[in-house]
Amino acid sequence: MLMPSKVKYRKQQRGRRRGKAWRGSKLCFGDFGLKVLKAGWINARQIEAGRIAITRFIKRGGKLWIRIFPDKPVTKKPAETRMGKGKGAPEFWVAVVKPGRILFEMEGVSEADAREALRLASHKLSLPTQFVSRQPAA
Amino acid sequence: MDKTTTIAAELREEFGKNAARRMRRAGRIPAVMYGAGGSALPLAVDPKQISQILYSESGHNTLFTVEIKGRTPARVMLKDWQVEPVKGKLLHVDMVRIAADARLKVKVPIHLTGEPQGVKVQGGILDFVLREVEIECLPDDIPEHITVDVSGLTIGRHLRAGDLPLGAKVKLLSDPHRVVAHVVAPRAEEEAAAAELAEAAPAEPEVIRKGKAETEEAEEGAEKAEKAEKGEKSERKEGK
Repeated sequence: MLMPSKVKYRKQQRGRRRGKAWRGSKLCFGDFGLKVLKAGWINARQIEAGRIAITRFIKRGGKLWIRIFPDKPVTKKPAETRMGKGKGAPEFWVAVVKPGRILFEMEGVSEADAREALRLASHKLSLPTQFVSRQPAA
Repeated sequence: MDKTTTIAAELREEFGKNAARRMRRAGRIPAVMYGAGGSALPLAVDPKQISQILYSESGHNTLFTVEIKGRTPARVMLKDWQVEPVKGKLLHVDMVRIAADARLKVKVPIHLTGEPQGVKVQGGILDFVLREVEIECLPDDIPEHITVDVSGLTIGRHLRAGDLPLGAKVKLLSDPHRVVAHVVAPRAEEEAAAAELAEAAPAEPEVIRKGKAETEEAEEGAEKAEKAEKGEKSERKEGK
Protein backbone atom coordinates (compact mmCIF):
# COMPACT_ATOMS: atom_id res chain seq x y z
CA MET A 1 0.00 0.00 0.00
CA LEU A 2 1.10 3.55 -0.61
CA MET A 3 2.68 5.48 2.25
CA PRO A 4 5.61 7.88 2.60
CA SER A 5 9.04 6.38 3.17
CA LYS A 6 10.17 9.24 5.41
CA VAL A 7 8.20 11.82 7.36
CA LYS A 8 9.20 14.82 9.44
CA TYR A 9 6.51 14.25 12.09
CA ARG A 10 4.64 11.03 12.91
CA LYS A 11 1.29 12.64 13.70
CA GLN A 12 -0.72 15.45 12.11
CA GLN A 13 -3.78 17.49 12.96
CA ARG A 14 -6.86 16.80 10.88
CA GLY A 15 -7.18 20.13 9.09
CA ARG A 16 -10.04 21.44 6.95
CA ARG A 17 -10.80 20.92 3.29
CA ARG A 18 -11.98 24.23 1.91
CA GLY A 19 -12.24 25.26 -1.73
CA LYS A 20 -11.65 23.34 -4.92
CA ALA A 21 -8.67 21.49 -6.40
CA TRP A 22 -7.14 24.18 -8.57
CA ARG A 23 -4.12 21.97 -9.07
CA GLY A 24 -4.27 18.39 -10.29
CA SER A 25 -7.69 18.92 -11.86
CA LYS A 26 -6.72 18.41 -15.51
CA LEU A 27 -5.83 15.23 -17.39
CA CYS A 28 -2.07 15.27 -17.76
CA PHE A 29 -0.97 11.81 -18.86
CA GLY A 30 -3.85 9.68 -20.11
CA ASP A 31 -6.95 10.06 -22.25
CA PHE A 32 -9.48 9.18 -19.54
CA GLY A 33 -9.69 9.87 -15.85
CA LEU A 34 -11.72 9.76 -12.68
CA LYS A 35 -12.50 13.09 -11.05
CA VAL A 36 -13.69 13.46 -7.47
CA LEU A 37 -16.70 15.72 -6.89
CA LYS A 38 -16.53 16.27 -3.12
CA ALA A 39 -13.82 17.01 -0.61
CA GLY A 40 -12.62 14.32 1.75
CA TRP A 41 -10.01 11.74 2.59
CA ILE A 42 -9.16 8.74 0.44
CA ASN A 43 -7.13 6.19 2.33
CA ALA A 44 -4.31 4.01 1.01
CA ARG A 45 -6.50 0.87 1.10
CA GLN A 46 -9.12 2.51 -1.10
CA ILE A 47 -6.51 3.66 -3.60
CA GLU A 48 -5.04 0.17 -3.70
CA ALA A 49 -8.49 -1.43 -4.09
CA GLY A 50 -9.25 0.96 -6.95
CA ARG A 51 -5.96 0.18 -8.63
CA ILE A 52 -6.57 -3.57 -8.35
CA ALA A 53 -10.12 -3.20 -9.73
CA ILE A 54 -8.81 -1.30 -12.76
CA THR A 55 -5.88 -3.59 -13.52
CA ARG A 56 -8.05 -6.72 -13.13
CA PHE A 57 -10.59 -5.36 -15.57
CA ILE A 58 -8.16 -4.22 -18.24
CA LYS A 59 -5.95 -7.28 -17.66
CA ARG A 60 -3.03 -6.83 -20.06
CA GLY A 61 -2.93 -3.60 -21.96
CA GLY A 62 -3.59 -0.03 -21.02
CA LYS A 63 -1.62 2.23 -18.76
CA LEU A 64 -2.69 3.59 -15.41
CA TRP A 65 -1.58 6.62 -13.42
CA ILE A 66 -2.49 7.27 -9.80
CA ARG A 67 -2.57 11.03 -9.32
CA ILE A 68 -2.97 11.11 -5.53
CA PHE A 69 -0.68 9.97 -2.74
CA PRO A 70 -1.68 9.21 0.86
CA ASP A 71 0.78 11.38 2.77
CA LYS A 72 -1.34 12.27 5.80
CA PRO A 73 -1.24 10.00 8.85
CA VAL A 74 -4.48 9.41 10.75
CA THR A 75 -4.27 8.39 14.39
CA LYS A 76 -6.72 6.44 16.51
CA LYS A 77 -7.01 5.77 20.20
CA PRO A 78 -7.40 2.13 21.24
CA ALA A 79 -10.90 0.85 22.08
CA GLU A 80 -12.20 1.37 25.63
CA THR A 81 -9.55 3.93 26.49
CA ARG A 82 -10.21 6.96 28.65
CA MET A 83 -9.82 10.35 27.05
CA GLY A 84 -6.54 12.20 27.49
CA LYS A 85 -3.08 10.71 27.82
CA GLY A 86 -2.01 12.11 24.50
CA LYS A 87 -2.81 11.55 20.86
CA GLY A 88 -3.37 8.00 19.63
CA ALA A 89 -1.08 5.93 17.46
CA PRO A 90 -0.93 6.37 13.66
CA GLU A 91 -3.36 3.88 12.12
CA PHE A 92 -3.52 4.54 8.40
CA TRP A 93 -2.61 7.01 5.66
CA VAL A 94 -4.94 9.21 3.65
CA ALA A 95 -4.77 11.48 0.62
CA VAL A 96 -6.62 14.77 1.11
CA VAL A 97 -8.72 15.53 -1.96
CA LYS A 98 -10.82 18.52 -2.94
CA PRO A 99 -13.58 18.70 -5.59
CA GLY A 100 -12.16 18.51 -9.10
CA ARG A 101 -9.08 16.45 -8.28
CA ILE A 102 -8.17 13.73 -10.79
CA LEU A 103 -7.62 10.43 -8.96
CA PHE A 104 -6.75 7.98 -11.74
CA GLU A 105 -5.79 8.39 -15.39
CA MET A 106 -5.82 5.73 -18.10
CA GLU A 107 -4.50 5.34 -21.62
CA GLY A 108 -4.26 2.62 -24.24
CA VAL A 109 -7.82 1.30 -23.81
CA SER A 110 -11.12 2.05 -25.52
CA GLU A 111 -13.45 4.58 -23.94
CA ALA A 112 -15.98 1.87 -23.06
CA ASP A 113 -13.31 -0.18 -21.24
CA ALA A 114 -11.98 2.90 -19.47
CA ARG A 115 -15.49 3.84 -18.34
CA GLU A 116 -16.15 0.37 -16.94
CA ALA A 117 -12.72 0.09 -15.26
CA LEU A 118 -13.08 3.50 -13.62
CA ARG A 119 -16.69 2.71 -12.62
CA LEU A 120 -15.43 -0.38 -10.79
CA ALA A 121 -12.70 1.69 -9.14
CA SER A 122 -15.20 4.37 -8.11
CA HIS A 123 -17.12 1.75 -6.09
CA LYS A 124 -14.01 1.30 -3.91
CA LEU A 125 -13.98 4.96 -2.95
CA SER A 126 -15.95 6.81 -0.31
CA LEU A 127 -16.54 9.96 -2.39
CA PRO A 128 -18.68 10.67 -5.48
CA THR A 129 -16.70 10.71 -8.70
CA GLN A 130 -17.13 11.45 -12.39
CA PHE A 131 -15.59 9.99 -15.54
CA VAL A 132 -13.66 12.55 -17.61
CA SER A 133 -12.03 12.31 -21.00
CA ARG A 134 -9.72 14.45 -23.08
CA GLN A 135 -12.30 14.76 -25.85
CA PRO A 136 -15.23 16.99 -24.90
CA ALA A 137 -18.60 15.28 -24.67
CA ALA A 138 -20.45 15.59 -27.98
CA MET B 1 -12.01 26.38 -37.32
CA ASP B 2 -12.68 29.04 -39.93
CA LYS B 3 -9.99 31.73 -39.79
CA THR B 4 -12.62 34.41 -40.36
CA THR B 5 -14.35 33.72 -37.03
CA THR B 6 -15.42 36.91 -35.34
CA ILE B 7 -16.53 37.38 -31.78
CA ALA B 8 -18.14 40.42 -30.24
CA ALA B 9 -16.74 41.90 -27.04
CA GLU B 10 -17.56 44.86 -24.82
CA LEU B 11 -15.22 46.97 -22.78
CA ARG B 12 -15.50 46.22 -19.06
CA GLU B 13 -16.33 49.16 -16.84
CA GLU B 14 -16.44 47.36 -13.48
CA PHE B 15 -13.59 45.39 -11.95
CA GLY B 16 -13.03 43.01 -9.06
CA LYS B 17 -14.47 39.65 -8.09
CA ASN B 18 -17.95 40.92 -7.30
CA ALA B 19 -18.37 42.48 -10.73
CA ALA B 20 -16.79 39.41 -12.38
CA ARG B 21 -19.24 37.09 -10.60
CA ARG B 22 -22.19 39.27 -11.60
CA MET B 23 -20.95 39.14 -15.17
CA ARG B 24 -20.62 35.33 -15.11
CA ARG B 25 -24.16 35.03 -13.74
CA ALA B 26 -25.34 37.18 -16.63
CA GLY B 27 -23.76 34.77 -19.14
CA ARG B 28 -20.58 36.65 -20.03
CA ILE B 29 -17.02 36.11 -18.81
CA PRO B 30 -14.24 38.61 -18.14
CA ALA B 31 -11.39 38.67 -20.64
CA VAL B 32 -8.32 40.73 -21.37
CA MET B 33 -6.67 41.58 -24.68
CA TYR B 34 -3.06 42.70 -24.94
CA GLY B 35 0.09 42.48 -27.06
CA ALA B 36 1.52 43.86 -30.33
CA GLY B 37 2.49 47.12 -28.67
CA GLY B 38 -1.10 48.04 -27.76
CA SER B 39 -2.46 48.65 -24.29
CA ALA B 40 -4.23 45.96 -22.30
CA LEU B 41 -8.01 46.14 -22.66
CA PRO B 42 -10.41 44.61 -20.13
CA LEU B 43 -13.26 42.96 -22.04
CA ALA B 44 -16.38 40.86 -21.55
CA VAL B 45 -17.00 38.00 -24.00
CA ASP B 46 -19.42 35.15 -24.58
CA PRO B 47 -17.99 31.90 -23.10
CA LYS B 48 -19.83 29.76 -25.67
CA GLN B 49 -17.97 31.39 -28.54
CA ILE B 50 -14.64 30.91 -26.76
CA SER B 51 -15.49 27.25 -26.05
CA GLN B 52 -16.25 26.71 -29.73
CA ILE B 53 -12.83 28.10 -30.58
CA LEU B 54 -11.09 26.04 -27.89
CA TYR B 55 -12.74 22.77 -28.94
CA SER B 56 -12.31 23.40 -32.67
CA GLU B 57 -9.80 21.47 -34.77
CA SER B 58 -7.14 24.18 -34.43
CA GLY B 59 -7.96 24.69 -30.73
CA HIS B 60 -6.19 27.48 -28.88
CA ASN B 61 -4.06 28.26 -31.95
CA THR B 62 -7.11 29.55 -33.84
CA LEU B 63 -6.74 33.08 -35.18
CA PHE B 64 -9.95 35.06 -34.84
CA THR B 65 -11.16 38.64 -34.88
CA VAL B 66 -12.48 40.54 -31.87
CA GLU B 67 -14.91 43.34 -32.59
CA ILE B 68 -15.27 46.04 -29.97
CA LYS B 69 -17.76 48.86 -30.39
CA GLY B 70 -16.01 52.08 -31.42
CA ARG B 71 -12.62 50.44 -32.01
CA THR B 72 -10.89 48.81 -34.94
CA PRO B 73 -11.25 44.99 -35.00
CA ALA B 74 -8.19 43.14 -33.73
CA ARG B 75 -6.83 39.81 -34.90
CA VAL B 76 -6.12 37.73 -31.83
CA MET B 77 -5.31 34.30 -30.50
CA LEU B 78 -6.08 32.72 -27.12
CA LYS B 79 -3.10 33.00 -24.83
CA ASP B 80 -4.46 31.60 -21.58
CA TRP B 81 -7.79 30.51 -20.12
CA GLN B 82 -9.01 29.59 -16.66
CA VAL B 83 -11.44 26.75 -16.11
CA GLU B 84 -13.53 25.89 -13.06
CA PRO B 85 -12.11 22.57 -11.76
CA VAL B 86 -15.35 20.64 -11.17
CA LYS B 87 -17.74 21.63 -13.95
CA GLY B 88 -15.13 22.78 -16.45
CA LYS B 89 -16.80 26.14 -17.14
CA LEU B 90 -14.67 28.93 -18.54
CA LEU B 91 -13.91 31.65 -15.99
CA HIS B 92 -11.55 34.04 -17.76
CA VAL B 93 -9.59 34.26 -21.02
CA ASP B 94 -6.47 36.08 -22.13
CA MET B 95 -6.24 37.07 -25.79
CA VAL B 96 -3.07 38.26 -27.48
CA ARG B 97 -3.03 40.52 -30.55
CA ILE B 98 -1.26 38.97 -33.50
CA ALA B 99 0.85 40.85 -36.03
CA ALA B 100 0.75 39.09 -39.42
CA ASP B 101 4.47 39.56 -40.09
CA ALA B 102 5.88 38.50 -36.72
CA ARG B 103 6.89 34.90 -36.12
CA LEU B 104 5.03 33.22 -33.27
CA LYS B 105 5.97 30.56 -30.77
CA VAL B 106 3.02 28.20 -30.38
CA LYS B 107 2.30 24.72 -29.09
CA VAL B 108 0.72 22.41 -31.65
CA PRO B 109 -0.95 19.08 -30.81
CA ILE B 110 0.37 15.85 -32.28
CA HIS B 111 -2.05 13.33 -33.80
CA LEU B 112 -0.95 9.73 -34.15
CA THR B 113 -2.34 7.59 -36.96
CA GLY B 114 -2.13 3.88 -37.63
CA GLU B 115 -1.85 0.97 -35.25
CA PRO B 116 1.78 0.23 -34.34
CA GLN B 117 3.23 -3.18 -35.19
CA GLY B 118 4.25 -3.50 -31.57
CA VAL B 119 0.61 -3.28 -30.49
CA LYS B 120 -0.95 -5.26 -33.34
CA VAL B 121 1.48 -8.16 -33.52
CA GLN B 122 3.57 -8.08 -30.35
CA GLY B 123 0.80 -7.11 -27.92
CA GLY B 124 2.55 -4.02 -26.55
CA ILE B 125 1.04 -0.75 -25.36
CA LEU B 126 1.46 2.53 -27.23
CA ASP B 127 2.62 5.19 -24.80
CA PHE B 128 1.85 8.68 -26.10
CA VAL B 129 4.27 10.75 -24.02
CA LEU B 130 4.48 14.15 -25.68
CA ARG B 131 1.12 15.44 -26.90
CA GLU B 132 2.24 18.93 -27.96
CA VAL B 133 5.41 20.40 -29.46
CA GLU B 134 6.50 23.99 -29.51
CA ILE B 135 7.11 25.45 -32.95
CA GLU B 136 7.93 28.84 -34.46
CA CYS B 137 6.23 30.11 -37.61
CA LEU B 138 4.20 32.94 -39.11
CA PRO B 139 0.58 33.21 -37.91
CA ASP B 140 -0.86 32.03 -41.23
CA ASP B 141 1.40 28.94 -41.31
CA ILE B 142 0.35 27.50 -37.94
CA PRO B 143 -0.69 23.89 -38.55
CA GLU B 144 -3.91 22.68 -36.87
CA HIS B 145 -2.03 19.59 -35.74
CA ILE B 146 0.97 17.51 -36.70
CA THR B 147 -0.06 14.11 -37.98
CA VAL B 148 2.43 11.30 -37.77
CA ASP B 149 2.10 7.65 -38.73
CA VAL B 150 3.20 5.25 -35.98
CA SER B 151 2.32 1.96 -37.69
CA GLY B 152 6.01 1.06 -38.02
CA LEU B 153 6.73 1.24 -34.27
CA THR B 154 7.63 -2.02 -32.59
CA ILE B 155 8.28 -2.77 -28.91
CA GLY B 156 11.28 -0.79 -27.69
CA ARG B 157 11.23 1.60 -30.67
CA HIS B 158 10.25 5.22 -30.26
CA LEU B 159 9.35 8.33 -32.19
CA ARG B 160 11.21 11.51 -31.30
CA ALA B 161 10.21 15.15 -31.76
CA GLY B 162 12.92 15.53 -34.39
CA ASP B 163 11.22 12.82 -36.51
CA LEU B 164 7.96 14.78 -36.83
CA PRO B 165 7.06 15.80 -40.38
CA LEU B 166 7.09 19.60 -40.11
CA GLY B 167 6.83 21.82 -43.17
CA ALA B 168 9.65 24.03 -44.41
CA LYS B 169 7.94 27.11 -42.97
CA VAL B 170 7.84 25.68 -39.46
CA LYS B 171 10.78 25.51 -37.04
CA LEU B 172 10.81 23.08 -34.13
CA LEU B 173 11.59 24.68 -30.77
CA SER B 174 11.09 21.67 -28.50
CA ASP B 175 14.07 19.41 -27.86
CA PRO B 176 14.33 17.17 -30.98
CA HIS B 177 15.48 14.26 -28.81
CA ARG B 178 12.29 14.21 -26.71
CA VAL B 179 10.29 11.02 -27.10
CA VAL B 180 6.83 11.59 -28.58
CA ALA B 181 5.54 8.01 -28.50
CA HIS B 182 6.91 4.55 -27.90
CA VAL B 183 5.62 1.02 -27.59
CA VAL B 184 6.18 -0.68 -24.26
CA ALA B 185 5.80 -4.34 -23.37
CA PRO B 186 2.74 -4.95 -21.17
CA ARG B 187 3.44 -5.64 -17.53
CA ALA B 188 1.71 -8.73 -16.19
CA GLU B 189 -0.25 -8.05 -13.03
CA GLU B 190 1.66 -9.75 -10.25
CA GLU B 191 -0.72 -9.42 -7.40
CA ALA B 192 0.96 -12.06 -5.30
CA ALA B 193 4.27 -10.28 -5.56
CA ALA B 194 2.61 -6.97 -4.76
CA ALA B 195 0.97 -8.49 -1.69
CA GLU B 196 4.33 -9.80 -0.55
CA LEU B 197 5.83 -6.39 -1.01
CA ALA B 198 3.05 -4.83 1.04
CA GLU B 199 3.72 -7.29 3.84
CA ALA B 200 7.45 -6.69 3.70
CA ALA B 201 6.97 -2.90 3.82
CA PRO B 202 7.46 -1.31 7.25
CA ALA B 203 4.30 -0.41 9.16
CA GLU B 204 5.51 3.10 9.86
CA PRO B 205 7.81 5.39 7.87
CA GLU B 206 11.11 6.61 9.15
CA VAL B 207 10.90 9.93 11.01
CA ILE B 208 13.45 12.53 9.97
CA ARG B 209 15.01 13.72 13.20
CA LYS B 210 16.87 16.97 13.70
CA GLY B 211 18.81 18.39 16.65
CA LYS B 212 18.71 15.85 19.49
CA ALA B 213 20.55 12.56 19.19
CA GLU B 214 18.30 9.56 18.59
CA THR B 215 19.47 7.73 21.71
CA GLU B 216 18.53 10.70 23.87
CA GLU B 217 15.05 10.82 22.39
CA ALA B 218 14.56 7.10 22.76
CA GLU B 219 15.37 7.42 26.46
CA GLU B 220 12.93 10.32 26.78
CA GLY B 221 10.24 8.32 25.04
CA ALA B 222 10.74 5.41 27.42
CA GLU B 223 10.49 7.75 30.42
CA LYS B 224 7.25 9.26 29.08
CA ALA B 225 5.74 5.81 28.54
CA GLU B 226 6.60 4.84 32.12
CA LYS B 227 5.01 8.02 33.48
CA ALA B 228 1.85 7.44 31.44
CA GLU B 229 1.56 3.88 32.76
CA LYS B 230 1.97 5.08 36.35
CA GLY B 231 -0.65 7.75 35.81
CA GLU B 232 -3.16 5.24 34.47
CA LYS B 233 -2.59 2.89 37.41
CA SER B 234 -3.16 5.68 39.93
CA GLU B 235 -6.36 6.69 38.14
CA ARG B 236 -7.69 3.14 38.31
CA LYS B 237 -6.96 3.05 42.04
CA GLU B 238 -8.85 6.30 42.54
CA GLY B 239 -11.76 4.92 40.56
CA LYS B 240 -11.94 1.90 42.82
